[in-house]
Amino acid sequence: MSQVFHEIEKKIISILKSESNLTPEKIGELTQLSPDQVRRGIEWLRLKELAIVNESQNITFSLGKNGLEAFESGLPERKLVDLIKDGSMKISDLQKQLGSVFGPAMGLAKKNNWIESKENELSLKTYPSNIPGEKTLKQIGKSSVSEQDIDKEDLQSLMRRPEFIIENLIKTKQISLTKNAQSLDISDSDSGAIDVEANVPEIFVARTHPLKDTIDEIREIFVTLGFTEIFGNLTQPSFWNFDALFTPQDHPARELQDTFYLDGVSSKKIGTPDQIRKVSESHKKGWRYYWDINEARKMVLRTHTTCVTIKHLAENKSEEARVFSLGRVFRNEKVSYKHLVEFNQIEGVVVGSNANLRNLMGIQREFYRRIGITKIKFWPTFFPYTEPSLQTMVYNERLGKWVELFGMGIFRPEVTKPLGITKPVLAWGGGIERIAMLKYGLDDVREFYNNNLNWLRSATKCQ
Amino acid sequence: MPVVEVSYSRLQKLVGKASKKQISESLPFLGLDIESEDKDLVRVEYSPNRPDYSTDFGISLGLEGILGIKTGSIKLKIKKSKTYAINVKSNVSKIRPFVTGIVAKNGKIDDKIIKQLMAMQEDLHFGIGRKRKKSSIGIHDLDKICFPLTYTTTDRNYKFIPLNSKVEQTISEILQNTEVGQDYGYVLGNSAQVPIIVDSKDDAVSFPPIINADKTTVTTKTKNLFVEVTGINKGDAEDMLSVVATILQSAGFNLESVNISGARNKTPKLEHRQMSVSPSLINDSLGLTLNNSTIISSLKKSRLDATTSGKNISCKIPPYRFDIFGPMDLVEEVALGYGVEKLTPQLSSSETLGMVNPISSKLKSVSLTMVGLGYLEALNSSLTSKRILFEMTNREPKNPIAVLDSKSQEHTILRDSILPGLLENLSRNIHAQYPQKLFETGTVFFKNDPIDEKTNFAAVWANQDANFSEMKSILQAVLKTGFNLQIETKTATHETFEKGRTASILVDGKTVGIMGEINSNTIENYKIRVPVSGFEITLSGLIFD
Repeated sequence: MSQVFHEIEKKIISILKSESNLTPEKIGELTQLSPDQVRRGIEWLRLKELAIVNESQNITFSLGKNGLEAFESGLPERKLVDLIKDGSMKISDLQKQLGSVFGPAMGLAKKNNWIESKENELSLKTYPSNIPGEKTLKQIGKSSVSEQDIDKEDLQSLMRRPEFIIENLIKTKQISLTKNAQSLDISDSDSGAIDVEANVPEIFVARTHPLKDTIDEIREIFVTLGFTEIFGNLTQPSFWNFDALFTPQDHPARELQDTFYLDGVSSKKIGTPDQIRKVSESHKKGWRYYWDINEARKMVLRTHTTCVTIKHLAENKSEEARVFSLGRVFRNEKVSYKHLVEFNQIEGVVVGSNANLRNLMGIQREFYRRIGITKIKFWPTFFPYTEPSLQTMVYNERLGKWVELFGMGIFRPEVTKPLGITKPVLAWGGGIERIAMLKYGLDDVREFYNNNLNWLRSATKCQ
Repeated sequence: MPVVEVSYSRLQKLVGKASKKQISESLPFLGLDIESEDKDLVRVEYSPNRPDYSTDFGISLGLEGILGIKTGSIKLKIKKSKTYAINVKSNVSKIRPFVTGIVAKNGKIDDKIIKQLMAMQEDLHFGIGRKRKKSSIGIHDLDKICFPLTYTTTDRNYKFIPLNSKVEQTISEILQNTEVGQDYGYVLGNSAQVPIIVDSKDDAVSFPPIINADKTTVTTKTKNLFVEVTGINKGDAEDMLSVVATILQSAGFNLESVNISGARNKTPKLEHRQMSVSPSLINDSLGLTLNNSTIISSLKKSRLDATTSGKNISCKIPPYRFDIFGPMDLVEEVALGYGVEKLTPQLSSSETLGMVNPISSKLKSVSLTMVGLGYLEALNSSLTSKRILFEMTNREPKNPIAVLDSKSQEHTILRDSILPGLLENLSRNIHAQYPQKLFETGTVFFKNDPIDEKTNFAAVWANQDANFSEMKSILQAVLKTGFNLQIETKTATHETFEKGRTASILVDGKTVGIMGEINSNTIENYKIRVPVSGFEITLSGLIFD
């Protein structure tokens, strides 16, 4: 370890070399350092194992209210003997002059044979040169005196009197140098330098949640790619979550075991009469079954954010648009390192007469490039509401395999036509936790929602 | 998505002229995701709309096409036969009105084929059959059946020996005692009469949609098959039959027709459909400039037939491809046949300007301001539990919103408050360094014809010196700095907060939240060892609508 010392440390070391076991106050006095500088200097030296701090307790005594009065004008018994030094006096006059302390003072003086009483008068027998307690009073005065410097016997007579003596318990620190420090030559070390190589205590930053950081990053990328963010409710009628997306009412994905239905909650208003009629016709024609409006009314926790974009498109019927929706979605799954019941999804659409599949792939490739993923490929896949449908596969270097990320496709005419959307709609979307897992190198998706402070405080912000 | 296990060596045998590598590289481009591989065995995930991919026969038809070994559509060669017939009685019309069927002869049946057929049957039942409700299938040993058959109904005391049983059982017993009976009996409801197929000797062949008779069980000794499909509509039943017929023909069987008549039932035609698509729709959708001959060859690689017809391309679609609804489906078939790997991404310039939603921006301001004040952002589920939301925090549930049949005990009701989750977080971190300061913004839910969703913001501070006033300073600072809002606090009571140290939070005279020192009861419930202060306010209506 380099031996670099701060000016404060140097001063303290040199003082302690000549005199050990000093209190911080004494060190301050001798070095002319402020109490705070002394405190810090001692702490630094202690951490470097150069100084030993011995803590000890000491009792000191100072005078209370009555003690101070006695210090100024004498003990009551001294006052009494002084009054009758030159001749006896009436008890009643003495009582007037000494007040409430007259009684105890007379008792004490009688006991010590300094005075005697005749009829109603007191007269002096022997004038005491020293009264017990006077020495201590004088010694303490207005300051305080420590236990070892005091005459205990003399103190005792004062201790019994009310509000004469205050006993203080004082903790003191005594600082001395270790053997290593004794032999240090501090004269050749740099002035003003500190030990820059020493360990320092850890400080934890306050920060936004790592998953929120990823969400913000993704939001920003799509905004710069020309997309506008839209919001929608997390609870949705089945109509927008399923029916409007051409998912038949008897489709397995709509069952309780996959989708969270709200217990006993239905929506009276699910869409315009025209939307409802046309969607139901599309289902009857495509899937050959009895379409039940009550099924469409059942409220669910949205299983994707697509319900938000499709509703937006149905309401706005834009000819040219780029919008996205980002937020929580829900699946009735067993929670595991791979699956959560509630996670985040981003889903976006491009509407326009010239929108085509290669453009959609281009947007995906650009997005991945911006989050630092360049090894990607596209595979065909199936979604009930898009045709053609593709999925992006990205290469996970850590796992050494291709993993599935966003899905995409062109909305089926069975979805768009009933809602009066005439232009082709490119749609894409996927889970955000998966991307965040790649980013933070996590194998267990639950970590994002554990709120484990040790992880939150240590996860690196830029990956 | 369903998964099927097939072997490379069998696929190679079926496809011919293709290496294992070629096959393994082509599978994803048919839409078949390789889930795992173990030497010769490969497990692939396939789309529920392609039940033909539930067998290696179906997969090899697709591979032949995409590899260019055999292209064009698969034609069903069905020999017209008068030997086989099913007569339908009108009494089935109210229960399960349609039946259809086919005969498949002279095939080789080994354990592997039986396994594949069983898997296909299960998939058809689950997928287009909608758990046997819409349609269901029975595959029988043809030579154990005496034709003609009758599709009729019977009562629940009717007895026969069902598959995998040695003794006769009544319909009621079958529904109660067998696994399939318990799983699919629901399809029949409480109807006194149930559907049944009997042969000319009055022996039961099948009790649709539940179980076959034991005597027609298919074994490795079986040479000829009889397939019947019943259902609630003719189209679905015939779709199902066409998948099985196509697969059996590919497996080497010769098909023969079964005459179906009575009660609006007819012999299935299993014919190709005609559909036309314009080349411009294809090119515009894919972003390509393919000429007609490339389009046609691509469609053929996808095992369809196509010819030019005027300005359009006319396609012939085999009956088992009922996943093709219209021209956009043909666009996808072109893409697959052409090769998705040949589609290059193209970034077109955007004609729209992007915008962050103002709600997101404001929530981000809340987060950043809180971080500036030394608070760490937490994230909790909005679907949580009674324990966290009410029991631990001593709150009375008011009209909670529950979900049905959750698979997780910890996720059963929607939160109406964020604070309980943050307290739960503190209780899980009692060994981490203090002070602990957490905040969260998120959605809370209330019943209101049907549901009100609001955005709330809550924070907690746990430390030896946590107190009311500094918590108020924090809230005051974040609302002042972030949104120029002034808060007032008024004495209040709340189940979670300490009496005398609880206040409601007001902005412009309107109550927007609650704050205070968390009471000892709650802190003890959570086994937190230091004092905790906290607040929760509703941002909806305050900083955005």
